[in-house]
Amino acid sequence: MNNKQSKFLVIQHIIVFLLAIFCLFPVIWVLLSSFKPQSELFKIPMTFFPKNWSFSNYVAALSYGSFTRYFSNTLFVAVVATVITVLINIMSGYALAKYIFPGRNLIFTIMIGTLMIPLQVIMIPIFLQLKRFGMLNSLWGIIIPPAATPTGIFLARQYMVNLPNSMIESARIDGAKEFFIFTNIIIPLSKPIIATIAIFSFMWRWNDYLWPLIVITDNDKQTLQQALANFVGQLQINWSSLLAMTTISIIPVIVVFLIFQKYFMSGITTGAVKG
Amino acid sequence: MKKRTQKGNFHQILAPILFLLPNLLIFGLFIIIPAFQGLRLSFMKWGVFTPKQFVGLDNFKNLLSDEVFWITFKNTIVYSISTVICLLISSLVLALLLSRNKIKGEKAFRATFYIPALISLIAVGIAWRFILGDEMGIINYVLREMNFNPVSWLTNGTMAMLSVIIVTVWAQSGYYMIMFIAGLQAIPIELYEAAKIDGASAFASFKRITIPMLKSTILVVLVLATIQSFKAYELIVTMTKGGPGYATKFVVQQVYQVAFIEDRFGYASSMSMVLMIVIAIFTLIQFKATGKEESYE
Amino acid sequence: MKKLMLIMVSILLCSTVVFASGATEGEEDKDVTLSVMWFNDANESDVFLDTIDEYLKANENVKVDMQVVSFSEYEQKLKLMISGGNPPDIARVTNNHLSSLGSSLEPINNYVDDISAVEDMFMPGSIAFAKDGDNLLAYPTEATANGMLVNLTAWENAGIDVKKLSKTWTWEQWEEAVKEVIKANDGMKYGLALDFSPHRYSTILFEFGGRQMNLDQSEVEFTNEGTINSINWFKRLHDEGLIPSSVWLGSENPAELFQAGLVACHIGGSWNINTYNTNVKDFEWCAVNTPKEEIRSSVPGGKFIASFKDSENKEEAMKLMAAFSSKESNEKYCADTFNLSARVDTDVPYISNKEDFTVFSEDLKVTPAFTALEWKASSLNKVYSYIREQIVQVLMGNISAEEATMNIDKEAAKF
Repeated sequence: MNNKQSKFLVIQHIIVFLLAIFCLFPVIWVLLSSFKPQSELFKIPMTFFPKNWSFSNYVAALSYGSFTRYFSNTLFVAVVATVITVLINIMSGYALAKYIFPGRNLIFTIMIGTLMIPLQVIMIPIFLQLKRFGMLNSLWGIIIPPAATPTGIFLARQYMVNLPNSMIESARIDGAKEFFIFTNIIIPLSKPIIATIAIFSFMWRWNDYLWPLIVITDNDKQTLQQALANFVGQLQINWSSLLAMTTISIIPVIVVFLIFQKYFMSGITTGAVKG
Repeated sequence: MKKRTQKGNFHQILAPILFLLPNLLIFGLFIIIPAFQGLRLSFMKWGVFTPKQFVGLDNFKNLLSDEVFWITFKNTIVYSISTVICLLISSLVLALLLSRNKIKGEKAFRATFYIPALISLIAVGIAWRFILGDEMGIINYVLREMNFNPVSWLTNGTMAMLSVIIVTVWAQSGYYMIMFIAGLQAIPIELYEAAKIDGASAFASFKRITIPMLKSTILVVLVLATIQSFKAYELIVTMTKGGPGYATKFVVQQVYQVAFIEDRFGYASSMSMVLMIVIAIFTLIQFKATGKEESYE
Repeated sequence: MKKLMLIMVSILLCSTVVFASGATEGEEDKDVTLSVMWFNDANESDVFLDTIDEYLKANENVKVDMQVVSFSEYEQKLKLMISGGNPPDIARVTNNHLSSLGSSLEPINNYVDDISAVEDMFMPGSIAFAKDGDNLLAYPTEATANGMLVNLTAWENAGIDVKKLSKTWTWEQWEEAVKEVIKANDGMKYGLALDFSPHRYSTILFEFGGRQMNLDQSEVEFTNEGTINSINWFKRLHDEGLIPSSVWLGSENPAELFQAGLVACHIGGSWNINTYNTNVKDFEWCAVNTPKEEIRSSVPGGKFIASFKDSENKEEAMKLMAAFSSKESNEKYCADTFNLSARVDTDVPYISNKEDFTVFSEDLKVTPAFTALEWKASSLNKVYSYIREQIVQVLMGNISAEEATMNIDKEAAKF
């Protein structure tokens, strides 16, 4: 039995290891390729490691347009939008999970239903709506409209449904106000789901392409993903700059993830034990 | 089970409405109103350079005989069902392998598997197109060097669909893995210990404990993955452009082309209405199949 | 958790500071700021700004705010802005855009004294794209021509003087010769790569005597002998492995295959000269005349700048566009972006590859005028993607060439 178990464990280790290679290989390949000059990128025989490590791709990518501006715009949008998203989604999730009121199921269904609308299709009506509210060409136009994410509400609600009702009710008997219950009981209990929604939201905002495309018409307000897509032209692709810029655009999300993953992963565990 | 002491209390009606207000406002103004405008458009002939004209059900009638639309429709269904099933299995397997400290360096591996989910779909598409190229891709190059036959990853219709599915699974497994890990951690370990004492096999306890306890997580993953798959756009555009031929062209791409290239927004709206109805049906089935009962403590 | 909040808040503060400090830069006085929409094939946006620098210095009240948008979403973005009633003041457009956006563009006629004098400065082909009735809708900037580039070293290895042969060759002679080239070179696998684009494909279509439209360009008419022959020929070359299927069936970029030394010839366009000049290090290459079938043909195309009816600062935009289109500016722009000039009187000081540009313009000169007129028609541009998809259907063996051309005609009739 013990022998069989340890064999099984070895196999599991091997599987995980192989999967990890499959998972990382494309990332590493792009990373290595980003150090090759374009003349080496499409050359046979191919090289795995760059023959001459060249940073010129990065110099070219970084000097494209106003890189620092794109970067700070993206960071601003991702951070502010994440704070707003987390707050309003947690509020909605709580309302839908722990209150009984007329129209609750209808509201929930409609919110989930909005997930099903492909953005491409309602782009022109949305554009006109943004124009009406003077949100065109402003970073707030990127931040506010997509802040109400059905996914976030869905996750928050699913999580909060499992929180004990007894705590809420005893707080009410003690005369606590509804908002006080939310800030002082629900939020502390919801740390894991807050961390989860925050990470998801940050990633999504950092990588979002379509919203900025609709909203922004000023070079000064462009985001990184737009700059990335600009390397693909009508007639040709600027591969070397594209790969370098891709690498640069991935690094911040990985850094944020590594910083927050402690909260993210451990948050899930502690939350689970309590829940 | 659902015991609420102060039902009907004024504060308990007002409070949830206030909590929901910011979300409802944003949804209403930026999604629901535009969506109704989209619905209205589906009964019209309209484009940026074509004046509005009410045509009743003509757009929907034309859809019935639109061969390309039905090809993209079929592709969307095939892609959606396959990716959802593969994602469900792959992310659950990863989560099972990477929970309860069985594997050394569990946290590092979790982070590793999550990395693809961090990358924008545009970048994912670009990277894989670069890797899977028939002539210039690294995989086929290595195959040739080792005297194997190269694989037409993106030039053969079936293979292209398969590649797109694999890449989607590659890119999103980590995301759903996290949800499953959370779900697995929530299962009290005592349940497994009790089962062990009763002499249940690993498979039996997986079937009788893990799956039932994961029901709500499975539902979340199913719903999110399904909706995601129906809306896949950036990845396809950068990876295959819908090709070869129509092999990986989905409804959303067709909608985009009809709307913005052919300037037929009305017709494109009617296509997306059909797509939305299909997504709604799929989601509904999933809710019904996994059972909507949720444990209220 | 507190730490987490702390980190979040501090990032928030930092980015607000960065953002706020940046936002005060563009101080408002009574200047005119022209909004410019641009897309890039290579370095065009930079060169454009560089070229108009002097004009901006001379006119201090004029400033330019340029947004570069990726080409794949460029048309969508423009249409959104037009439908919202706030198009940019100036936009870079292709000949395809001119046919799809034409009705929203501001004619230049109202801003110049003698419109025919302006038209005479540019190549007739470019002007044909930009004209709508009597109105000139845009200033041509660069012209493009489709044509053939060959791997010279590989042809020399096969002992063939491709420069001489190409002066008169037919597609039959080409096929015979290119098979020799493949045999004589180890890594060489294919004879020809053709860009995945109906526009590039039409080079062959026209050469085979085919037409995409009827004679007065009022309707799409793909079903004719020449067109069908060209599709069948194209399919045969795919089936025989002379053309790599990874391009039309798998969206691999022919320029990359050429660069890797896998194909002997590439039918691309004048813009490839620039790419190959910087990226091809291992062999010699050059432009040659395209082989002939019924006729010898290139296909003209080009880029333009235009202003819109609803643009806010049309007056200033027109002045700037006129200045940018002057002989000196155009020469500088074309030299720095490695493009063919759309003006007739320019002598572009290319730093290299002058001969290759000459070959492309030679082909362009013998190209019949209807090629431009067809590509100008909006009905043809609406089925652009459909044409591409139908040709691929033929290549995959799903339908015959005749079925494909009939499908295309049927689809076009729907508009």
